[in-house]
Amino acid sequence: MLHGFSKPRGTRFRVITLGFGVALAIFIISVLIGVITHTTPLAFVHSLASKEIHFAIGLSLVTSVISTIWCIVVAVPAAYSLARGNFRGKSLLNAILDMPLALPPLVAGVGLLILFGTTAFGSELAKVGLAFVFTPKGIVLAQFFVNVPFMFRIMRSTFQGINPRYEYVAQTLGCTEAQTFWRVTMPMSKNGLMAGSIITWCRGIGEFGAALMVAGATRMKTETLPILLYLNMSCGELPLAIAAATILIIISLVSLFIFEKFGGAARVF
Amino acid sequence: MIKIEHISKDLGEFFLKDVSLDINDGEYFMLLGPTGAGKTILLETIAGIYHPDKGRIILNGRDITNLPPRGRNIGMVYQDYMLFPYLTVEKNIRFGLRSKKIAEAEVSRRVDELASLLGISHLLHRYSGTMSGGEQQRVAIARALIMEPEILLLDEPLSALDNETRGRLREELRKIHSLTQTTMIHVTHSFDEAFMLGNQMAIMNQGGVVQVGEPSEVFRKPNSRFAADFLGVTNLFRGEATIENGISYISVNGVKMVSSIPKSGPVYVSIRPEDILVSLKPIDSSARNSFAGNIEGIADNGVVIKVTVNVGVPFIVVITRRSFDDLHLENGMLVYITFKASAVHIFS
Repeated sequence: MLHGFSKPRGTRFRVITLGFGVALAIFIISVLIGVITHTTPLAFVHSLASKEIHFAIGLSLVTSVISTIWCIVVAVPAAYSLARGNFRGKSLLNAILDMPLALPPLVAGVGLLILFGTTAFGSELAKVGLAFVFTPKGIVLAQFFVNVPFMFRIMRSTFQGINPRYEYVAQTLGCTEAQTFWRVTMPMSKNGLMAGSIITWCRGIGEFGAALMVAGATRMKTETLPILLYLNMSCGELPLAIAAATILIIISLVSLFIFEKFGGAARVF
Repeated sequence: MIKIEHISKDLGEFFLKDVSLDINDGEYFMLLGPTGAGKTILLETIAGIYHPDKGRIILNGRDITNLPPRGRNIGMVYQDYMLFPYLTVEKNIRFGLRSKKIAEAEVSRRVDELASLLGISHLLHRYSGTMSGGEQQRVAIARALIMEPEILLLDEPLSALDNETRGRLREELRKIHSLTQTTMIHVTHSFDEAFMLGNQMAIMNQGGVVQVGEPSEVFRKPNSRFAADFLGVTNLFRGEATIENGISYISVNGVKMVSSIPKSGPVYVSIRPEDILVSLKPIDSSARNSFAGNIEGIADNGVVIKVTVNVGVPFIVVITRRSFDDLHLENGMLVYITFKASAVHIFS
């Protein structure tokens, strides 16, 4: 703060490094502005009135909210056990749970497609009404698989940041372990859970590769905003594609803002 | 009473090795020891946070070794308070009563009673984040006491506080103890605290109990090299003080000392070993305290030498090797010790 770039001595090195930063910022802004200004406000409003984009917005919201809830339900207890527990195989388990993070979404999608589309496991699930292949459920599944490590990692480091003695005190005050979790650990993890949910949801909205593999790209059936963008780009329906892109940009920026507000950025990696 | 029988627990960095202690009802029991001695893990094992690898804990005839913390009725107060930051002071205090079926009116009555006992009634609607250390510790104590625990465990409750607050809260702990007669087990690394609060104390080192007894007894008769080194640096006595012309005269076991701190009644006296002069003959000086006694022990600590001189009470004097050699001190020799009235620290 005292001697940042704001008070430069004008050394050449500092000026050069600053130049890179500014150039990168200009590049990013140009890309975003390029998308938004490619269409006129009138065309944007007109696109927003189309049935197809209504469907895509609706499907994106529904699938991303459901997949975020599933991420919370599964990742929160898993993160707690790995933050607090001390058992053999802990680091192996940690490594496996982080793995989808490094996997290309397309590969994740192929894997999901094979597991749920070609195995007995998948066909048994389909028989009881849980058909994932080429259905909106498959979109939820793809979003869940790709994004659950984010929720897991944020919650794990959130729990690790809470002194376990808060929980010890609660137990001496009459709480069971489960009550301690609900009455102490979760209220103290509120910010982490907010940050984790926002980033998981935002990534869910934007999920493309894995969802494409599992659920396909069927107009008005498995058509989320990214899929709509892809389909309409392919067939030259530019205004609709740009409208979808603009909505995605707005969602990303707002999410980033909220995420930063809850101080979660440092916890992802 | 609580009986701790041959408890062992290995947590890697911290461990307990065959710890046995008997603590009677209503006792104020001090656990004293250096960092890493295993004091906190002993408290946490008593509370039920850790299950011991070996041994048993018997509380009033009931084997509680396998009970979870909530089944033990043992309260816990930590050095860093551990107040729930998302709850107001009042909700922190009443936190534990949720699990008990107690009428709302009774809960409020108990909260008000404890809040006024601890002088925190004006804080009930605040959150802990904006409060001082002393205030937070009072809330933590109230939160534990509202459960009416059979035993209250205090893990260095005064260590994070400034001097003045520490003194005040120490007095309140004493008051709470005499008012509630709750058995207290208090971890500290401060001799003064152990001396001023404890009826009984144990010294711990490397996961084991080194010595147990009344504080004055343990201070007077350390039973091991470790206990002696750990405690023996202070001349700490119990005495009776009277004030004459603004100066205190303290009688300790027949030895009359003079202190510049005016105080009367039963007091503790301490004199730092470095503040005491040793001479072969009585010396004329402005120092108001001078006594004759025989050398009862000589401990060579390398650079300095610790000499015990019994003048009716045993004084420990620290002198340099050079002085020791010049004076040709030996066991049994008659010497004089001299110190100024301002070196005599008294407290009650």
